[in-house]
Amino acid sequence: MSNRDFLGEFEHIVVLALLRLADQAYGVTVRREIEVRTDREVSIGAIYATLDRLETKGYVKSHLGDPTPERGGRSKRFFHVTAKGVAAVNRTHRALGSMTEGLDLVRRYS
Amino acid sequence: MTKPSVVQPPRLAVWLVNLFTPYEQVEAISGDLLEEFSDLTLKSGGAFARRWYWRQSVKTIGHLIGSGFRSAPWKIAGAVLLGRVLLPFGFILPEKIIVAVLRVFPVYPNYDHINVYELWMFWVPLAIRIGWVIAPIIIGCIVAVVAKGREMIATMSLGLSFLALRLVAIIVNRPGRILTQPDILLGLIAAFVIGGVIVREIRSALSPRPSPAHC
Repeated sequence: MSNRDFLGEFEHIVVLALLRLADQAYGVTVRREIEVRTDREVSIGAIYATLDRLETKGYVKSHLGDPTPERGGRSKRFFHVTAKGVAAVNRTHRALGSMTEGLDLVRRYS
Repeated sequence: MTKPSVVQPPRLAVWLVNLFTPYEQVEAISGDLLEEFSDLTLKSGGAFARRWYWRQSVKTIGHLIGSGFRSAPWKIAGAVLLGRVLLPFGFILPEKIIVAVLRVFPVYPNYDHINVYELWMFWVPLAIRIGWVIAPIIIGCIVAVVAKGREMIATMSLGLSFLALRLVAIIVNRPGRILTQPDILLGLIAAFVIGGVIVREIRSALSPRPSPAHC
């Protein structure tokens, strides 16, 4: 995997949600964070498909927590962003910033 | 005093999600869905929560199928190819076996009024019918074993490959092939999927529950 890779749109949103949630990032909280902040309904499947892809790329890591009764004795899978993931977010932000620089998106295109 | 009844998520939806989820994610995904379902039941009632669970399950299965293809395309393609190669043998084999058995152990040898021809005309078509029912299920099982962790995707793909063949047969106007008959084709697809479900259920029952150290 090239270290010049950029994050896709949904990957970008998911990584930012993980960064916001810090050590409380697992499927439910990530899904809710994205729904609240982007006003867009997402499925648990979409979250896990993206997180798996990010984990394969080395941008996130996961570990299982302890089983809890409200989840029927099932464990939470917590995720955190790696240094490589943070670098990918920064790279993507810089690219987007560079592409939007000088464009008056609000006035000219809204 | 009666206990308040605990609302459970739709069992069929839970089962379907578990069928399509890779083993290492079953714990997390089913737990997440159950946690949100419990919260929604308290906030909005059982009926709303069940509808939400179904909607989430359908979307989740769609994403799991997509990500399953993307993560192991060659494994799935290889399993489907194997299924396609095995199917003709699966159809022929029961017929061959019963013919061989009839030759070695002729049934009803003392009944003179039963003509050997009639006997064969009874047993051989029966063997063919049995073959047509059992063979696709066994092939579905073999495909599912090869596509470990992607059992349902592989067996569904195998079925869809035959469906694609039927569409091609319609387009090129060659409806004579037996696998282009809709009832046989649907039965075949269902049999492959049943094979996948059998293997998946056995593997799920045998696989150990992941512990925190596994991830």
